[in-house]
Amino acid sequence: MDIREKLRILSAAAKYDVSCSSSGSNRCTPPGGLGDACSAGICHTWAADGRCVSLLKVLLSNACKYDCAYCANRRSNDIPRATFTPKELIDLTVEFYRRNYIEGLFLSSAVIKNPDYTMELLVKVAKELRTVHRFGGYIHLKAIPGASPRLLTEAGFYADRSSVNIEVPSDKSLQYLAPEKNFASIYAPMNFLAERKLEYGPTARLRGPSFLPAGQSTQMIVGASGESDYQILSLSSGFYNRQKLKRVYYSGYVPINADKRLPVLTTKPPLAREHRLYQADWLMRFYNFRYDEILDEAHPNLDLELDPKIGWALRHPEFFPVDIQHADYEAILRVPGIGVKSAQLIVSGRRFSKLRLEQLKKMGVVLKRAKYFIYHPDTPASLRRLYPEMVRPLLLPRSKSGQLDLFAGSPLALPA
Amino acid sequence: MSLSIQYDSSFEGFLSAVFEIYRQHLDVGEFRPDRGDGNLGDGTPGDIFMQPFRIETSEDAANRLHRAILNFASEEVYNLLHAALLSEEPGVEMKILAYLKKLFSGTDPNYGRNPASAEMLPLYKIAQSVRREAGGLLGLVRFAVGPDNVLYAEIEPRFNVLQLMETHFSKRFANEKWLIYDSRRDYGIYHDEFGVQVVNLPGYKSGSMDLKDAFTDLWKEFYDSIAIKERENPKLLRRCLPVRYWNHLPERSVRFAAT
Ligand code: SF4
Repeated sequence: MDIREKLRILSAAAKYDVSCSSSGSNRCTPPGGLGDACSAGICHTWAADGRCVSLLKVLLSNACKYDCAYCANRRSNDIPRATFTPKELIDLTVEFYRRNYIEGLFLSSAVIKNPDYTMELLVKVAKELRTVHRFGGYIHLKAIPGASPRLLTEAGFYADRSSVNIEVPSDKSLQYLAPEKNFASIYAPMNFLAERKLEYGPTARLRGPSFLPAGQSTQMIVGASGESDYQILSLSSGFYNRQKLKRVYYSGYVPINADKRLPVLTTKPPLAREHRLYQADWLMRFYNFRYDEILDEAHPNLDLELDPKIGWALRHPEFFPVDIQHADYEAILRVPGIGVKSAQLIVSGRRFSKLRLEQLKKMGVVLKRAKYFIYHPDTPASLRRLYPEMVRPLLLPRSKSGQLDLFAGSPLALPA
Repeated sequence: MSLSIQYDSSFEGFLSAVFEIYRQHLDVGEFRPDRGDGNLGDGTPGDIFMQPFRIETSEDAANRLHRAILNFASEEVYNLLHAALLSEEPGVEMKILAYLKKLFSGTDPNYGRNPASAEMLPLYKIAQSVRREAGGLLGLVRFAVGPDNVLYAEIEPRFNVLQLMETHFSKRFANEKWLIYDSRRDYGIYHDEFGVQVVNLPGYKSGSMDLKDAFTDLWKEFYDSIAIKERENPKLLRRCLPVRYWNHLPERSVRFAAT
């Protein structure tokens, strides 16, 4: 089989792994070598579905000996199988990198023979890239559950990031859908790598190469099994706090296999839900929201029509309006329509002058949303209260219902 | 009669002009950058009520103005003004001048630290757009490997961002020879073991650097096979990757179609 055919099969097989981040690492070009890793991460192109592509994301092999229900590579599927040689992968990575097609390599694999055999091959590719080719670009290596600590440790010294995908958001469903896996087998390598990273952390870095400088990530499939968003977010929150993961990815389930344990093949991927989960995740990582603020037992699922920040705001009218001129940064950050950048601008800009609405707009504040939640000196005292029932319809996307258009433009007397 | 200031379109040139404006108390009506393409400014005929006045670039003057900006504001502001000028937006020089006048007047000791002042905010926005394009293009430069093992790439950015991209590529491809050419502005930067230099290729024909080889085809193969049909979203794609950049991207351009 020629390399082109392999590339086609093994990149198509890897495409459902949504992680493509190349950020969080700071690697300088090795002496006489090729490439560095930029801490901000760079997109090199966008796939037809609008996903950023920054890494050569492929499987080393799709010849899997396991049989996970949700996976195209499971052994019970009758599909063409292919396996790269390490040399082929190294050539592709170096030549793509030189042409500035990619930030680096994202290498994963199905389980060939056994976990150690597979992990050994993955490590070999990374090791040769780093040592023989002095490759300084980004490398993301999958950690294969069940691989020996020795191999995981070695991987950590050559890779910028590692990931073990949990895929299914509860232990029960995971064992049901992936008979060879369970939560413990996923958490074991994750915890092991997290501990090594601590051990070889910033202080040790002076002495040797750094260990997984860009940390770990994982992925959960959404919509293949019955978990609520609340369950999913509480898992994510645990990953961020306990395993110190850098990113959790959510992948709306695309039906690939006809399997009575899974949604039928005609099911559309739950893209809206996936999008809302990313927004909620964003709130946890950058806006200091706790998962149990975003959702709770009484509201176990995200509102598909409104972003979770607005959702929280409407459930907490007592928190608003926020006084832009005096409230602290944390409070300003909670206002829908105000992002991290504009919140920072507001806090540094207001020390020098009173902020006008016009200025807020220029700072990037989306007044269309924010106006219902901020205090403005010109607002009559009687209107300085938030009425969620009145505000909610105004914030809904217009196309959803023609009827709402009637209200959208009318001068409803609300705090502006 | 106010003056129409001509300068060589570089940031140093602009700073030299501002220096002279202060030294000679000039009454400025407009700026006309000379981009070496035979037009001055945006190519519109000059205002007949203004008198042309040429100011030559002086390293010393530019340095002194640099120091003044550091004294009154910060390096950050200096870099921001530079980025704003690279937008080449008609009239941007007058906006920067208005900012500097207010800054140097010293009436408000905090002015240099205020990102939200009436003069700063629009410049901030302009600089942001310029930096966004420069940042985005870092990933969109596509090198072709020439016969001499030199890496060639052509770009056509909206703003004059090549100089903002230089450091990134010098670090990343420190041990390669490469050339990135802005065919809209007809200049490029070339890097080899001696460092980076600005080059002109008179009569350069757009597209002649878009060579392809086996790895270009493999790259297109990769790009096509990672698309998830159920999730296709042409609108989102165009928003993330504006069509005007497609021309030089093998994975999106028809010019690289398999032969
Ligand atoms: S182990 Fe991985 S590749 Fe193999 S079937 Fe399960 S998910 Fe698919």
